[in-house]
Amino acid sequence: MVFLTLSCLIRSRGPDRYWKVQEVLKHARHFRGRKNRCYRLAVKAVRRAFVYATTARRLKKRYMRTLWITRIAAASREHGMKYPALMHNLTKTSVQLNRRVISDLAITEPRTFLSLAKLAQARQQEGFRAALGDGKEPSGVFSRIVLLQ
Amino acid sequence: MSSFSRSAQQWATFARSWFLIDARVQPPGKIATMCAVRLQGKHKPIYHALSDCGDHVVVINTKHIAFSGNKWEQKVYSSHTGYPGGFKQVTATQLHQKDPKAIVKLAVYGMLPRNLHRRTMMQRLHIFPDDELPEDIRANLTEELPQPREIPRKLSEYTQEEIDAFPRLWTPPEDYKMK
Repeated sequence: MVFLTLSCLIRSRGPDRYWKVQEVLKHARHFRGRKNRCYRLAVKAVRRAFVYATTARRLKKRYMRTLWITRIAAASREHGMKYPALMHNLTKTSVQLNRRVISDLAITEPRTFLSLAKLAQARQQEGFRAALGDGKEPSGVFSRIVLLQ
Repeated sequence: MSSFSRSAQQWATFARSWFLIDARVQPPGKIATMCAVRLQGKHKPIYHALSDCGDHVVVINTKHIAFSGNKWEQKVYSSHTGYPGGFKQVTATQLHQKDPKAIVKLAVYGMLPRNLHRRTMMQRLHIFPDDELPEDIRANLTEELPQPREIPRKLSEYTQEEIDAFPRLWTPPEDYKMK
């Protein structure tokens, strides 16, 4: 025998099992059933939850963008324009607002959004005149792209 | 609108409106798209799938709906009773004669998203085959939507001057027999 006294036979296998377990269970406290109490079930559930969270972080960006687009489309239809026409004409007038900002304006600043819609409509009409008018008319006010240096 | 208090403004923004659509001589598909957009709330800039922002839609005169082309004879509505040999196929004419509301109802049902909100949205859709509305629904209506299709005039609705002013493409010879 190697250990000849009782105090040498008893050894501590790891003093921090409680805290290692709590590290996992703290992420499972809001789960349903025994998954929120029992470590073996909680480990599997927590790993799955983290996987879902990672994929959802990538998908959230897509969902938010489609939501912004839906909202902008609804607001622009209220003013008699369609979403593709609005966005295309805004980019042609070098308005570099992204969809998040435009959708927030549509909700909280309706008159600002109306002015953006009117700007896009004016640019659209200028585009139609340029396409149908055989180039004898001067290009309109909004078609002149100002290059800021 | 800007003079409202914050709570009153929020109440007004999220209130549910009642839309009226007259389906006389209109294509049921176009009626159904307008209904589906408003039942989901996608006509509002505050739209969110979870925020229950859909409105009520009342469709009248569905008895006088007008399919384009030969769809009255060619469009087939299929269903199965669940029992063996229970596959039923009905043309649009037969379905319309049996139930004048069914065509618009099925069209809207197919255009709504396939989730649990669909049944709630269908409950907010009110279809009437005629012009008659119950008093409580008539009292709730807020807005009438313009019809999607311009109704063409019949020959009897043109004045004689307009008919004469229309350019003639060819003059028939003396002994030509018109049908």
